[in-house]
Amino acid sequence: MITIAEELVLLAVEDDGKIAYTAGSPEFAMALVGACLIELNLAGRIDADVDSVKVLSPAPTGIGVLDFVLDKISAGNSKSSRAWVRDLHSHYTELFRLTLRLLLERGILQQTESRFMWALRSRRYPVIDDREQKEAKLRICALLLSDDIPTPHDTVLISLAVEGGLLESFLSRNQIAQLAERIDQIGGLDLIARAVEDAIRDEAELRVSAVMMAVH
Amino acid sequence: MNTTLDTRDSATIVMATGRLDFEASDPFQKELETVIAQAATRHAAVLVNCAGIDYVSSAGLRVFLVAARSAKAANVALSVYSLSVAVKQVFDVSGFGRIINVYEDEASALAGVGSAA
Repeated sequence: MITIAEELVLLAVEDDGKIAYTAGSPEFAMALVGACLIELNLAGRIDADVDSVKVLSPAPTGIGVLDFVLDKISAGNSKSSRAWVRDLHSHYTELFRLTLRLLLERGILQQTESRFMWALRSRRYPVIDDREQKEAKLRICALLLSDDIPTPHDTVLISLAVEGGLLESFLSRNQIAQLAERIDQIGGLDLIARAVEDAIRDEAELRVSAVMMAVH
Repeated sequence: MNTTLDTRDSATIVMATGRLDFEASDPFQKELETVIAQAATRHAAVLVNCAGIDYVSSAGLRVFLVAARSAKAANVALSVYSLSVAVKQVFDVSGFGRIINVYEDEASALAGVGSAA
């Protein structure tokens, strides 16, 4: 099974291989950090509670993007997963690059380059085998439309896809509004995914404060 | 983490005590899976007394999620009661009360099982 980080990035790849505009948002960046934290938790490298993240083992997992995050946490001061999500999302470019590399190495994506007007370089990532991408979308839709209790993996995928603004790529705004109650029910069932939601709210409040200060 | 079982006619009560962290999560999950499977064969409920759980991590919380899935698949009613401060905190943060029945104490949990039967 591919990692949650890979599934999130796959959801951000559009049909023509372009990376969705959403993937450049701070919300997506924080969802990607959250995905790495949760994978590290599932792999027994870290554990987290409401107040702090504890490193259980700094041993590399062998997965570049996870080890990048694990190194940062191992070398850093103790803080909450909410704070780690906020701090590490500034490394988004590297996290995204490492996750893309995983998908390229697995043969799920391929990288193609073209030039527009012989000058502007355009990079795309067409999906070679769309099974994983379709499967992720189908799992999300099936769970949102049922009253089944999701697996821990799917709980997190749905939470982070919501927080990262990825549902809009395959569900209409009207459908998302109709599923709001169910999304909310599933959304917080993982403590780290909940921390991502809180971190995104913190950042939004900071942006509003910055704007208000600039206005005054 | 330690657990003791009390098998009643209508329910198996799991008394859990200690820290529910990453280390404890796997054995506790396996134990709950076993209890749920046994309860299914005698059409009984499973009630988890959480008064003695003094710490719950993200890995520990997932145990309840997996148990809730297993219980639903086996058609077993799973409830928790007497939440310690630590358990109440993570249940409140995560909204777990929306997928698992939460009761104040054993009497109300048993009454809940009775009314559901």
